[in-house]
Amino acid sequence: MHFPKSRKKEKNLQFVKENKKRSGSNRRTRKGKLISIGYLFPSAAGVLLFFVLPFLIVIYYSVVDNPISNQFVFLDNYVMVFQNAAFQQAARNTLMFSLVAVPLAVVLSLFLAMMLESRIPFKSQFRTFFLSPMMVPIASIVLIWQVLFHYNGMVNEVLGVFHIDKIDWLNSNYAQVVIVILFLWKNLGYNMILFMAALSSIPKDILEVAVLESATPFQIFWHIKLRYMSSTILFVTIMSLINSFKVFREIYLLKGEYPYDTMYMLQHFMNNTFSRLDYQKMSAAAIMMAIVMVIIIGILFLTENYFGKDVEG
Amino acid sequence: MKKMKKFIAAAIAAGTMMMLLFGCGKREEQQNETKGYVWVSEYADFNVEECDWIDEVVTLGDECYFSTSRYDEEKEQSVTSLYKYNLLENKAEKLNFDLEENSSIYGMAVNADGNLAMLINQYEYVEDEEGNVTDVNSKMQLCIVSPSDGALIDSKEITEVLDVPQETYFQYFSIDGQGNLYLADGDSKIYILNKDIQKVCEISIEGWINNMVTSKEGDVYIAIYGNEGMELKKVDVAAKKIGEPVQGLSEGYGNFTFRTGVEKSLLVSSNDGVLTFDIQSQTKEDLFKWLDVDINSDDVNQVGELSDGRIWAIIREYDRDYNSSYQLAFLSKKDASEVTARQEIVFGAMWIDSDVKRNIIKFNKTNSQYRIIVKEYGEDDYEAGLIQFGADLTTGNCPDIISLSQLDFAQYANKGILEDLYPYMEQSGIKKEDYVENILEAYDMDGKLYGIMPSFYLSSTAVKKSLVGDKSGWTLDEMLDLVEEVKPQYVMSYDSKESMLYYCIYQNIDEFIDWESGTCHFDGDQFIRALEFASQFPSQEEVNYNEREGISSLLHDNKLLLMQTSISSVQEYQMMKGMFGEDITYIGSPSSDRKGNVIQPAGGSLAMSSKSKYKDGVWEFMKIMLEAEYQDSLVNEHGGFGFPIRKESLEKQFEFDMKADYYEDENGNQVERPKTTWGYDDFTIEIMAASQEEIDEIKALITSAEKVSENADQQVTNIITEETEPFFKGQKSAAEVAGVIQNRVQIYVNENK
Repeated sequence: MHFPKSRKKEKNLQFVKENKKRSGSNRRTRKGKLISIGYLFPSAAGVLLFFVLPFLIVIYYSVVDNPISNQFVFLDNYVMVFQNAAFQQAARNTLMFSLVAVPLAVVLSLFLAMMLESRIPFKSQFRTFFLSPMMVPIASIVLIWQVLFHYNGMVNEVLGVFHIDKIDWLNSNYAQVVIVILFLWKNLGYNMILFMAALSSIPKDILEVAVLESATPFQIFWHIKLRYMSSTILFVTIMSLINSFKVFREIYLLKGEYPYDTMYMLQHFMNNTFSRLDYQKMSAAAIMMAIVMVIIIGILFLTENYFGKDVEG
Repeated sequence: MKKMKKFIAAAIAAGTMMMLLFGCGKREEQQNETKGYVWVSEYADFNVEECDWIDEVVTLGDECYFSTSRYDEEKEQSVTSLYKYNLLENKAEKLNFDLEENSSIYGMAVNADGNLAMLINQYEYVEDEEGNVTDVNSKMQLCIVSPSDGALIDSKEITEVLDVPQETYFQYFSIDGQGNLYLADGDSKIYILNKDIQKVCEISIEGWINNMVTSKEGDVYIAIYGNEGMELKKVDVAAKKIGEPVQGLSEGYGNFTFRTGVEKSLLVSSNDGVLTFDIQSQTKEDLFKWLDVDINSDDVNQVGELSDGRIWAIIREYDRDYNSSYQLAFLSKKDASEVTARQEIVFGAMWIDSDVKRNIIKFNKTNSQYRIIVKEYGEDDYEAGLIQFGADLTTGNCPDIISLSQLDFAQYANKGILEDLYPYMEQSGIKKEDYVENILEAYDMDGKLYGIMPSFYLSSTAVKKSLVGDKSGWTLDEMLDLVEEVKPQYVMSYDSKESMLYYCIYQNIDEFIDWESGTCHFDGDQFIRALEFASQFPSQEEVNYNEREGISSLLHDNKLLLMQTSISSVQEYQMMKGMFGEDITYIGSPSSDRKGNVIQPAGGSLAMSSKSKYKDGVWEFMKIMLEAEYQDSLVNEHGGFGFPIRKESLEKQFEFDMKADYYEDENGNQVERPKTTWGYDDFTIEIMAASQEEIDEIKALITSAEKVSENADQQVTNIITEETEPFFKGQKSAAEVAGVIQNRVQIYVNENK
């Protein structure tokens, strides 16, 4: 293409200007990027150092025979752990406990939140009562539980009044019942507060419209409240699930590293293998547990997405 | 650009990982080396002849004064002498000071005039008409002696001034800056006299006084064991009471000795090392650890400071026959660059055994290429130390030499942490057949040797042969049947519910746990029977062993059935036979395979880390303990403790034990005399030369032992102890308790399968 000389010059000038502008904006973008990298670096390094790196090391330990000879064994550790009777028992117990304790923790705390939302006397006293277990240190809680459920404890004393034989609560199949009660006692208050907050954030106009439309209380609860609370329910479920894994702490303080078999949880397995320096078993078990957790939480997210999408828009 | 970013991210991640991994493997450097200097020791002869024992040492500048005792065989009495020792010139001078007959020096100190003040006890025996001693009259004398020639300057009797019972023994004697005299007796009382020898006061102390010292500032302090360790408290003569503990000196209960400091208030020596302490600022400065300067703290007799900053120490070394010799050591600071650098081999142990410590010091003194440094994990907190030891073994911090004493060697051998020692033995020309094979193989697993035990003894249970015959072991049922049949008043000399249950199961755990199949049998009849058997005994809180007759009379009267014992020497074996009064069978603890006699290391057992960088150096050290020189040094004329593992050395030991000692009677006949006398509870026996039959019996016992003693599995023991309590208190039945134990132990077994 041919331009007159002056046009060409003009065009060239424009091109140089544009290039200058572009390179200036490129420099700014690059500078901005560098600044953001600089700001991000401390937290990125922290995440890398304290989360990603340990996780990678755990993965590494799970595929070698031991940290001294470091022979690659691929999935042998996983197979060994999966076939281990103690691991199977721990997985069964943890699953059973979570299946029972988590729904109970969600349903009961929701029920309590609904109850405290209605017009009942001594509301604030009840709220304090349910929240108080959160303020008690775990060692004291365990001490109280020991006093209650010891073979010579208060519960058996009370049962004795009704001529019922003593039950060895912590050394029998009743042990998991004790732990479920302890878990609920400790967690209901917190969950209840979360639900109360969610209930108070439901738009009042929708509820009023529902009342005007002659909706029954059950319909209001089922079709409106539950829908609006779906994200809170998911959050409470995930938190309760995580807390259900943490119940190891209470069991450990109650019965040590090797409790009665119905109380033996996955974290017992990992804790004990760690203290025995059996890093391979521990790492393989931890990875398997993490995978299961990811699957469960993924399912919960999908469920919440399905039920709560219309209210969240 | 993207590639660049990826590279940077990968580099950061890799760098962090490397930092973490290498950070774990960094070895601790010696504290003094980081300061640019090291403490080194030099030895000098201790120029005092004819000295069996040094009694009391005081320092005056660079000279020290002490009294010595020596047994004069001609006069058949002990002779005390007073010496002045010039430490700079290493010259001793015997002072012209004669201690009167029937006198002993209780204490010595330097008074305000720079003279020696000596607390001397004079005693006189009161005899009846037949010449029997009926009483002792004693008086306390304070003698002031010139330090230059030992001339007596003054002497005063202070018995009446002190106003104490005649038999009072003064353990500590100090003089403060004002010339007041402090005398501490064995009953935790301090008597204070002023310089005019008038009594100022008496101060009573709660607890035992462990030491008394005058600080550089001229105050007198006492050391007592308080609630939180050794406490140093000032004796406040004005207030006539003991002050509050001085802070900042110590947190433990170590064995501390004190001397007046030169630069700082005090020079403090402990089992660990030497430090200086400034009382005013309550600060201490660690000078060195004894092991770092190649001195065995067990041998340190006296420590002091010279004006040129050096530390002197009088060392008394004992050999295994208890012969001793004194040496003088001078410790001085040297620039780290002046000292030849050696490769550091780390010796890891919960506690270091005294024999091993002696060998390490010897090795460090002679080896020019390697130096062993010791890392003791169990010094402060046993549980935390054991966890740390285990963690170090499985990470980059693994010590080069590992003491197996508190460890389950099989667990670490399985993890590949321990090196096979057979190839090293072969390379060094050390033949397996020269050693007692079953003892050497105690640490053998799948044809690999993971540890060595230079000396050993056996743990066993003794019972009358007439009751069990020639059996070399028994099961739990067989033991319980015998108890039921004999019905002795006492089954063991020390029996409680807890200890008897422990005895029934701790060497017999295989009876109840099958590790191979991963099954437990605690709910079976046998464990329930053991529980019921143990419940017949009094509990640990109730039992009072003092009320019982002597062990030997109980054995003779068939009131006591079993004796838990060891076979650590031929003489011990002879003593045990004598105590039973008839032939005995070493049947061992009950065990399913009837192998209840177990091997125990007598002087530690060692293993080599498979990851050590200095395997040759490690083996150089380990080899010493298998060689003839060391093994022969274990042979003890007087029996000793433990047998050497080397066959020839063991035979030498047996030869000693069989060799009779003779004396000539008035008719010129050679009469055998006892080699020694042994005592146990109410029983004493003169040990004569062992017979060939006895030696053969011991040899047979040694060769029959196969298992090395393992520490009882702590988890299983914890579960059993916890769960049996309600049964022993009568709250639960044996079957219920056994069921719970079965359930809990099964989880443990499954986990470990």
